[in-house]
Amino acid sequence: MTRTGRMVLLTLAALAVAMWTAGCATVQPWERARLANPCMVFDYNGGQADFASHWQSAREGSSGGFGVQGGGCGCK
Amino acid sequence: MQTLSRVFTATGLAAVVLLFGLTASPAALDVRGAVAGQQAPALRLPTADGTYLSLADQKGNVVLIDFWASWCAPCRHAFPAIDQLFVDFRSRGFRVIAVNLDEKRQDAVDFLVARPHGIDVVFDPRGDSARAFGLTGMPSSYLIGRDGTIRYAHAGYTDKVLDAYRLEIERLLSEPAGGEHTR
Amino acid sequence: MQVGEREPAPAPRNRWRPLAVAGVCVTATALVAAGSLRGENILNIQFHTFQDSRGVTVLEPIVDLDKDFTERSGLKVKFGVDAITGASDSCARCHPDGANSQRTFVNVDYRRKIGDYKLDVGGQISRENFYAADTAMVSISRDLNKGNTTIAGGYSFSLNQPQLHPTQSVENQYAHDLFFSVTQTLTKNTILQLAYDYNRISGYQSSPFLRTRVNDIMVVGNTPDLRSRQAVVVRLRQALPGDTYLQADYRRYFDTWSLASNTFSLGVEHYFKPSLLVGFTYRWYGQTGADFYQSSYTGNPIYYTGDFRLQPFNSATYTGHVVYTPAHRLLDLLPDKTAIDLQYDRYQASTQFASSMFTLGLRIPL
Repeated sequence: MTRTGRMVLLTLAALAVAMWTAGCATVQPWERARLANPCMVFDYNGGQADFASHWQSAREGSSGGFGVQGGGCGCK
Repeated sequence: MQTLSRVFTATGLAAVVLLFGLTASPAALDVRGAVAGQQAPALRLPTADGTYLSLADQKGNVVLIDFWASWCAPCRHAFPAIDQLFVDFRSRGFRVIAVNLDEKRQDAVDFLVARPHGIDVVFDPRGDSARAFGLTGMPSSYLIGRDGTIRYAHAGYTDKVLDAYRLEIERLLSEPAGGEHTR
Repeated sequence: MQVGEREPAPAPRNRWRPLAVAGVCVTATALVAAGSLRGENILNIQFHTFQDSRGVTVLEPIVDLDKDFTERSGLKVKFGVDAITGASDSCARCHPDGANSQRTFVNVDYRRKIGDYKLDVGGQISRENFYAADTAMVSISRDLNKGNTTIAGGYSFSLNQPQLHPTQSVENQYAHDLFFSVTQTLTKNTILQLAYDYNRISGYQSSPFLRTRVNDIMVVGNTPDLRSRQAVVVRLRQALPGDTYLQADYRRYFDTWSLASNTFSLGVEHYFKPSLLVGFTYRWYGQTGADFYQSSYTGNPIYYTGDFRLQPFNSATYTGHVVYTPAHRLLDLLPDKTAIDLQYDRYQASTQFASSMFTLGLRIPL
């Protein structure tokens, strides 16, 4: 199997594990006080993240796939 | 190279479809919370001065139970609006029990001292009442009829929810105590 | 850095100017509208300065407005000016007396909740001397399991058009990008994100601004017309006792030019007071070179490049930042809860390149 093929499989496996653990996660909506903190939110400061990936892509040979925004208070 | 790319694109698409598909039935994952029509679970919790407030003592009144926490932005928006509802309807037998779910009491106190309010606030740092009501999100609120049954339930707070509160409270207040009704 | 020839500064080109005006107009309109609409609205203003070992100094203002139009839909408009892309970067090098090397961009992003799903549609237009880039993107995400799991997927397409300065001819480059991610709450103090990104670039991929030595003659590079890139990211956020937070990221990347890289970053943030957050982040980056990269070429190579980004090297970045949210209205000018964000980045590469960045940011709730 090619290296890239292994990579895709590995990711899918990791995602499958994440989905599986999702079933056992027991964090209740009222227990998210610390998850609501900006420090726990992925790319809370989107502007700073954009700037960093911008200058990095001007200096480094690989860019993209840094992840997405997410997390937080989970409020309805 | 062309075929390789196609394989990737196909794999990627398949993965996305799979992920969304696998999880297309949230009902299987979510435990259903307290619903309209049920008798409200018992609720007895301390206020700031340590005296206990009980839902059972409110029979005959229309009660809005609002589950909130200081770290929850929509809860913070809802708080003054709910306080205003209390001011508007209290004379007709409307009560509010705002159940605070902050694990750190001080966080709630800091929020409350900055906002003078008339509604009753009780504290449940362990979240037992939230568990009893089976909350699925924050904030969650329940309107209890004069007979003690849950009549309306809301998850989340928006302008639409506020409009709904007014209609629903109006409707419940106009019902005679202990009257039969269907939704 | 070798410079093949020195050209006179180009005649002023106004390709980007209408865009700048449009950007300002859109932002201004959005700002005015902000007064009449309710919901969560945030205005971000950031000034970035960038100074590197070659003495290039850049001031980059970025303004973005994030606004909710209804409870289910919102719009983000972003406008900025900078000068550190590949094109303008090299441009500054060959025109040391000053050339207009600004890049101007406008980014619009519309989001909408549809049932349990969140849909995001957006686009970006970016213009600068000798380089134009247009991007359209769509993404969808869904919360599951009482908000403990978020799955997301998205696609974007970019058309990038470098101009083969000093000629007028323009080349096309097409980039497709596909991603999916899972964000999972593990405990009340831990959240994890896994993401996969596939990116396919076709068309012209050489830099018309970077030259390499082939048989002792300086020439513009020639690179393959297709590059497929993949990246896997694992990110962790951990709340520690005492209002301290830990952030750890790992990214593995490789592409069909045999370039592979690893990126680690580790950050710690601590609230000294509820109004004062101080953080420090260390980032390490290491890459292999593209298989056809050489510092100079002899004979009759098919592919050759002068792009410094394709050589093997590693780098370290040290970042410190302070966020201060004054309890009282600042200078009686800015609204309550305005946060002031100061950040300093020091970047050092094994290629002797180093740069310092300083950012002043204001996050203003409207």
